[in-house]
Amino acid sequence: MKGIDEQTYYEILELSPAATSKEIQKAYEHAKETFHADSLAVYSLFTEQEVREIQVAIEEAYRVLMDESLRKSYDQSHYQILDQQKLENPPEIPVPLRERKPPPASADVPVHMGEEIYRGKTLRQIRERMSIDLETIAQETRINLKTLELIEGEDMEKLPPLVYLKGFLKGYAQSLGLDPHKAVEDYVHFLDQEKRRPPSS
Amino acid sequence: MRQAQTKDSKTIWTIGGGKGGSGKSFITANMGICLSKSGSRVILVDADLGGANLHTFLGLPPPAFTLSDFIKKRVKSLHEVLIPTEVPNLSLLTGAQDLLNAMDSKSVQKRKLLRSIQHLEGDYLLVDLGGGNAISVLDFFLMSDGGILVVTPEPTSIENTYRFLKSAFYRRLRQSVSSHAVKALIDGAMDRKSEMAIQNPYELIKAVRQSNEEEAKKIEMEVETFQPNLILNQVRSRKDIEIGFSIRSACQKYFGIRLHYLGYVVYDQDVGYSVRRRRPLVLENAHSRAAQCVSEIASKLASRHQMSFQF
Repeated sequence: MKGIDEQTYYEILELSPAATSKEIQKAYEHAKETFHADSLAVYSLFTEQEVREIQVAIEEAYRVLMDESLRKSYDQSHYQILDQQKLENPPEIPVPLRERKPPPASADVPVHMGEEIYRGKTLRQIRERMSIDLETIAQETRINLKTLELIEGEDMEKLPPLVYLKGFLKGYAQSLGLDPHKAVEDYVHFLDQEKRRPPSS
Repeated sequence: MRQAQTKDSKTIWTIGGGKGGSGKSFITANMGICLSKSGSRVILVDADLGGANLHTFLGLPPPAFTLSDFIKKRVKSLHEVLIPTEVPNLSLLTGAQDLLNAMDSKSVQKRKLLRSIQHLEGDYLLVDLGGGNAISVLDFFLMSDGGILVVTPEPTSIENTYRFLKSAFYRRLRQSVSSHAVKALIDGAMDRKSEMAIQNPYELIKAVRQSNEEEAKKIEMEVETFQPNLILNQVRSRKDIEIGFSIRSACQKYFGIRLHYLGYVVYDQDVGYSVRRRRPLVLENAHSRAAQCVSEIASKLASRHQMSFQF
């Protein structure tokens, strides 16, 4: 059994080291949902401090694993450490599997565990973090490239009718490994809010 | 996953979890019927101290013969107090109070009773435990490694289930070690406010390792092999279903254990109707959504049973 500061990034997100960026995104969403401050699955088991530490670890793991070069150097150093460990065989020596951060002392630690709203901008950011270009999504989902651009660009005037838009959003979210229901719900809610906003002068 | 198996390859599943009213008896009865319909011999054991009424879920009157008759030697064997049901291959054993009183005692009677139960002829033994964290309930739960927790997606139910799981977890660890000093550390871990200031299982293992490396290894082995199961009952939304996965992840991080999420049963008014009519849902309305969920979980258990034959 390992403490949170001894777990690898893969263990923190409950992933295999061969995980794809889609799987990492999905695991991150799940971990965020699970270790949200108000999560039903957590509040009666962990102290607030423990939850904060896990939240920090999740964010750190996600940041590194979603960045191709950071992940590569992490994997290299991690496996090097494991290899070295095998050679020297000193099980008593604790191996720093990842950079340890000091435990967060107060609530002002920059932890982004709040619910992420899937609007066009967010979907684009997630896609870019996963290094997937829009053409690939278009090919995978058979959604017109122009439509995907409109969705990401939040172009209210040119978006397809809602009934079609919902289908496109589902397909797009699924291709990124995101919750399709949440994507539709968030995007439609975002559009509603935009429509209600008074026109700027 | 490792289940408790007797010499004749019987699999014992104990169905527990903190809160009364989460649907343990409903799930036990209906799962038992599903397993027996596939040709397996199934015995349901009612060990619900708070309110033994498994018979009602099966549409049976209060039983004439109970475990008392066996304990008080009015019958020679446990087989004589088994109540047949309308479902072929399915029988019921009741006597919650006697059963749990016997479990609390350290007598020969307790060992004899457990042995007798474990030697009942059948393929599956499903034990309905009811709520609460009494020692006897925990011991019954731990009798099988295939302990099943039934939880509803509500704070009170989850809270009580965690409380139950913690008690069962630490009791199992306590049973695995022999050193009194280590047992005292485990007792300290169960009480977060104790002077030892052990906040969680991870800190416990660290503390044990400092004082007794060998006992620490035993504890780690117990953590490794303790793999309870989870059924989420009365789910109403996708979000509710996901709570099961979150509970699994939380248990992994907190206890270091692998909790198997067996599945979920949707909230379905047909459940209430079937209970009121005292007719098991899987017989009364096999096509209802809840009945289908229960059948699916039962078939998962059956496939694990078959898999375990291979080893």
